[in-house]
Amino acid sequence: MARTFYPHEHFAPRPSTFNLLPFKFTRLNEKELLVNEAGEFLFAPTGTIQLLTDQTIDTASELYRDLKAKHFLYDDTSSPLLDVLAAKIRTKFDHLNGGTKLHIFVVTLRCEHSCHYCQVSRQSASRGEFDMSQATADRAIKLMMDSPAREITLEFQGGEPLLAFDLIQYIIPRAKQQAREREKNLDIVVCTNLACITDDILLYFRDEGVKVSTSLDGPAFLHNKNRPRPGNNSYEKAIEGIERSRAILGFENVAALMTTTAASLDYAAEIVDEYVRRDFHSIFLRPISPYGFAIKTRHRTGYQMESFLKFYKAGLKRVLEVNRSSYRIAEAYTQILLTKILTPHSTRYVDMQSPAGEAWSVLVYNYDGDVYASDESRMLAEMGDRTFRLGNVHKDTRRTIFTSDAALRMFQASATQSLAGCSDCAFQSYCAADPVYHYATQGDIYGNRPTSGFCIRNMEVIKELFALLEQNDHETMRIFWSWITGKSLQNEAIECA
Amino acid sequence: MAEPEDRGTPNANHVVVEISLSIVSPEALLKTCYWFSRDYVCEVKKQTESVATVLLSPRTVTQEFTPNSIRDAFLTSALDFALREKIEAKTSGIRDLLLAKAFSESGVLEDEPEGVFGDKIEESNPDSMFKILSNPQR
Repeated sequence: MARTFYPHEHFAPRPSTFNLLPFKFTRLNEKELLVNEAGEFLFAPTGTIQLLTDQTIDTASELYRDLKAKHFLYDDTSSPLLDVLAAKIRTKFDHLNGGTKLHIFVVTLRCEHSCHYCQVSRQSASRGEFDMSQATADRAIKLMMDSPAREITLEFQGGEPLLAFDLIQYIIPRAKQQAREREKNLDIVVCTNLACITDDILLYFRDEGVKVSTSLDGPAFLHNKNRPRPGNNSYEKAIEGIERSRAILGFENVAALMTTTAASLDYAAEIVDEYVRRDFHSIFLRPISPYGFAIKTRHRTGYQMESFLKFYKAGLKRVLEVNRSSYRIAEAYTQILLTKILTPHSTRYVDMQSPAGEAWSVLVYNYDGDVYASDESRMLAEMGDRTFRLGNVHKDTRRTIFTSDAALRMFQASATQSLAGCSDCAFQSYCAADPVYHYATQGDIYGNRPTSGFCIRNMEVIKELFALLEQNDHETMRIFWSWITGKSLQNEAIECA
Repeated sequence: MAEPEDRGTPNANHVVVEISLSIVSPEALLKTCYWFSRDYVCEVKKQTESVATVLLSPRTVTQEFTPNSIRDAFLTSALDFALREKIEAKTSGIRDLLLAKAFSESGVLEDEPEGVFGDKIEESNPDSMFKILSNPQR
């Protein structure tokens, strides 16, 4: 049922003719799932597509009215709806507006951890030649501010960026000053393992409005196994750092991310429970990235995508159970996809944008001044492959970076509307292409969808979500809408249309 | 379209599917093969002007090799791609129109789109709220 309100046309004589609007479809759970250009969807009985293409559907039927209400067809009473559909399509591509919003500064490659799955090629903590210079930082700040975006996020990464805290202190006031001069809003995030955090650093972050994002892979046995450091106490350090950070920065300014290694696969529920125990209200069940050190250690950390999907489903099941017991915790990837499926909006999650968010929505300034299209392409460069190097802060401008061969090649290879396997896919409105992933895993920026781990993951996750949407369970929908709107579980009770 | 039961010669090693090219275009057939190429080597041969055969050989031999279900799945997928072509043929014009309308108001489009756009139903309705009518003939 797609409507709760009948416009006056409902009572008019049945239309003599109708025209189709563009849509894609797939078969799911013995139904046909139709998705239009704006991402609106409808489950219809098997055979509906044939009736539509043959123009034999009963124009007086409920199904016809649902198809019309959801913009799969139009007739002589549809005029206002087409303007609405165009507006929805424009909203769906809103991520293309405004220019690059996320700017990642790799201030050092140094790190005192030795994680098996580390995506970067870390250097030992004492080697200062892998730190960003002030001159490079100055140029990177200027390039960041040259972006037409009004909302800018400056993210410090490493290595362990706190090992270059002096440089962070050098960058923040300069970035803030330029943001003020150019009338931009600046968000600042530091991605840190928290092992080196001190109260002085946290007080500085509090005064400057800096947020902290850290890693928490699960319970102690798992976190310590994934993230070795001298003393085998990375979990204890992380928890202590999270608590101190929350006390000084405020609860809402401390986030955590987990990475799924082979050791994690059997512990989905335990990982979710650890996040609940630590009072987090979001968890991102992320597969390991096939870059950097993870490639060298894949025999220890790697797994097939099918194994990850089993883990994801078990994790999502546990997350939903926890929400049903009135503790609100969102699974971040599910939240992103549900926003795309159930609302007209796009999201700022750069890995799932078409054309790719890489370069368009995110730029990475490496410690040596090289500019990359994404964190992942920088990791490839650390492995010796500079395919996605867009330029250097000392030689290039925003224009030359965005018109570089590497950037143009990536934009071309990441528009799902024109890619083999994606152009016909019913999930196109919700998905992406990720040329860097496909280059890293298949040696081809266009990629082969049937064998792509990226495609297999997203197809299966989206199907899983549609299966839940089709069930239209009141409690599940209440939880999903609370994730999408960011409101409490009590406030949301909207069912799937 | 061939019936699965009486066409082709499935055996333990491969499945043969016969396709009518008057129902499934070569492009739709190739798209079907693309998606089956993860699990099968797809060898396409054009038998006549209107008939092609596809030899599907599993990349790995498993105990669950079921020729009839593989052929059914292939035929269903091929027909779906044929349906998608029909939908695209019927909607490509309005799709261009919608995208032009969507992006014209975002300032992305600097030039007027090429071609003649319009819709008979919309143009016959003087009170239409859908403002893009046929652009002037050039």
